[in-house]
Amino acid sequence: MIEQPPSHRDIFVGMLQVALSAFGGGLSAWSQRIVVEQRGWLSNEEFLTGLTVARLFPGPNQINMAVYIGAAFRGLSGALAALAGMLLVPFTLLMLLGVAYFSFHTLPAVDRVLAGVVAAAAGMALSMGFKILDQYWKDPVALLLAAATFVAMEFFHVRLVPVVLIAGPLAMAWYWPRGQHKGSQP
Amino acid sequence: MSLPLLLTGATPSTWLMASLSAAASGTAIATSGGASVHCTPTSLTDLGHLLQVLGTFLGLSLFSLGGGNTLLSEYQHISVHEFCWLTSSQFADLYALAEAAPGPSSMLVGLLGLGAAWPEGPWWALLSGYGAELAILLPSTLVMVVACLSWNKLQHSPWRIAFERGLGPITLGILFEVGIKILHTADTNAAGVVVSVVVCVLMLRTRISPLWFMAFAGVLGGLGVINR
Repeated sequence: MIEQPPSHRDIFVGMLQVALSAFGGGLSAWSQRIVVEQRGWLSNEEFLTGLTVARLFPGPNQINMAVYIGAAFRGLSGALAALAGMLLVPFTLLMLLGVAYFSFHTLPAVDRVLAGVVAAAAGMALSMGFKILDQYWKDPVALLLAAATFVAMEFFHVRLVPVVLIAGPLAMAWYWPRGQHKGSQP
Repeated sequence: MSLPLLLTGATPSTWLMASLSAAASGTAIATSGGASVHCTPTSLTDLGHLLQVLGTFLGLSLFSLGGGNTLLSEYQHISVHEFCWLTSSQFADLYALAEAAPGPSSMLVGLLGLGAAWPEGPWWALLSGYGAELAILLPSTLVMVVACLSWNKLQHSPWRIAFERGLGPITLGILFEVGIKILHTADTNAAGVVVSVVVCVLMLRTRISPLWFMAFAGVLGGLGVINR
């Protein structure tokens, strides 16, 4: 880390810059470019650690990453400054878009275009599971857990919260690190 | 069904009318699945409604695994079947808007809050939208701050390792269920389903920006090739 830690204002402005640069996508790449390369707030290693923490804990990844950067320098208030910088502009734009949607979505032309956009968005949602399937491909227990979770939710309509509260501890017990033979033996 | 209604302060007469109209039309209230399900909103005051929105999202925040997308089908269930904030196709529209707009797609929650309070006027709806987004982010942010400050201790803890390895496969199962649920919610014609599958494959095999897929599919919708 650097000698003079960024102020709340710096954190807010830096995250605002990330959010504005990332219009059109690539939020994570922009965040690395601005925080590591331009401003030199974190080393590359520190940034990658941040990504690991952000992915591990609950919450949207890019937003957790902003929290990590803010908290690293200024604790909770720094995290809130980072969140505000990251979200203020895109979220306000989205709210305006939402107001426009609820005002005009009954127009037939708008509804027709949206029917198409929705089909593409459904394809994006469908790809999410396949995207992370590779990393579990060689672990039959993981695939079994995933299949059981899917079946419980899809066919028995079990809700998310009970699924996580029941399957979570079971899976954690199975994968509890045990010296040499990690997770391979019960 | 009567218990949640009474708990949330509905008068017995509104409950009776809801039951009668449901019985008369022969539909089940708030069962999952099926497009023609009759949804009866609980009658709350404006403030009560706002608190319902905030409480719901505060409670879900810590279940947002795998970057937040695991919550999508829970959002759908809550806003379409449980509280009747939106119709099924409105939910699909808002999901698509959140994916298309710049910024993290988890901002969908703000749109759900907006939709929940839309009947109460745009200003109240905006308040509800900003409140919903704060509510979903606040608990996970607090946990994240604690995690950052104690990462040196946490990093090699067996709890951290078991949590990471154990919840991964569950996240995988949930994401597949979410994909199927969103596809059902989109409820387009055969051409639309073909587009969904093609987009899914292209998302996995290429690095083309999804905005192009949405723009192209929007044109197909405008031309009437895709409809619902």
